[in-house]
Amino acid sequence: MKPNETHRSYIEKVATDNREYVQALLDENQRLHEQLADLQADRARTTQMLEQALEERRAFSARYVEVEQQNTNLANLYVASYQLHGTLDRERVLTAIKEIIINLIGSEELAIWEVDRDFGAMVLIDSFGIDKGRWAALPLDTPGVIGIVAKTGEAYTGHNTKVHVAGREERLTACIPLKLDGEVIAVIALFSLLAQKERLESIDYELFDLLGSHGATALYCTRDGVAMEALQ
Amino acid sequence: MKKKVLLVDDSTTVILMEKMILAKGPYEVVVARDGVEGVAKAKSEQPAVILLDVMMPNMDGLTACAAIRSDPATAHIPIVMVTTRGEEQNIETAFRNGCTDYVTKPINGLELLTKLNNILEMNLVGAGAR
Repeated sequence: MKPNETHRSYIEKVATDNREYVQALLDENQRLHEQLADLQADRARTTQMLEQALEERRAFSARYVEVEQQNTNLANLYVASYQLHGTLDRERVLTAIKEIIINLIGSEELAIWEVDRDFGAMVLIDSFGIDKGRWAALPLDTPGVIGIVAKTGEAYTGHNTKVHVAGREERLTACIPLKLDGEVIAVIALFSLLAQKERLESIDYELFDLLGSHGATALYCTRDGVAMEALQ
Repeated sequence: MKKKVLLVDDSTTVILMEKMILAKGPYEVVVARDGVEGVAKAKSEQPAVILLDVMMPNMDGLTACAAIRSDPATAHIPIVMVTTRGEEQNIETAFRNGCTDYVTKPINGLELLTKLNNILEMNLVGAGAR
């Protein structure tokens, strides 16, 4: 073989090797591109699954908080009912009412009046954190929200736009009638909420309802004669 | 294993409420009705944590808290004050008297359980480290 032919043959071999090498690189590049696309698709799927899992966890946490709140609310109602009906002693019923308002609703300024229709008045039978002398007895037709509640049997919880609190009732937060057979036998007034409690919650309205009915029954049962009759 | 929790409160309503909340967790409940009884039971019962009301007859919660902290036999027990007064000044006073944490009334079940869990877990970690 002549030297030129030897060189040509060598160059052709190199060129062929080079083409094959380049082709191999292109093929490898293509394979890596495809692998990358697969991995990116996997990552997108995993990210989506993670986001879904996080969303589920958020929903679960929110539901857990909601269920726990419902548990607390039910516990509140159970405790209130249990306390109201656990005795026929007047002092203990009044203590139960006060404790429900202080500890479960969250107010340290309250008054409880009993309606005396013979005298046409509401008589203060218990209170906490207020000036007793100022609220000792009120005529049944006393002007203001407390009088309206005693007369109509409709609770005032601050949302009633028709009534306007003023004067010594200015700080009135809620006023609840205690009714038996549709007749108001007592009235509870709350004059503030605890500092850390910004507003009445839904459970508070349920507790007001419970106080309005069960509180009335419990209080009525402690009246002279009724308690004795029940015990006999 | 159940953790013993000492509830110190003169209000049967609060005690009943706390018992109902704690019934959902691994807790054994012991009750004291005032500060004096609370200090005594902290020593005799050696609870894992104490829930201590502030306003009580015989001895108020803040005094009881300081008494529990000053006795070497009870100084290590975490105390959660249960207060109706959420104002900053009252909370500061409670911490100065040695309380570990506080909850305000009306008691929120989830908040109370979370705080108790955190305190008891921290105590376990602390005990492990010791």
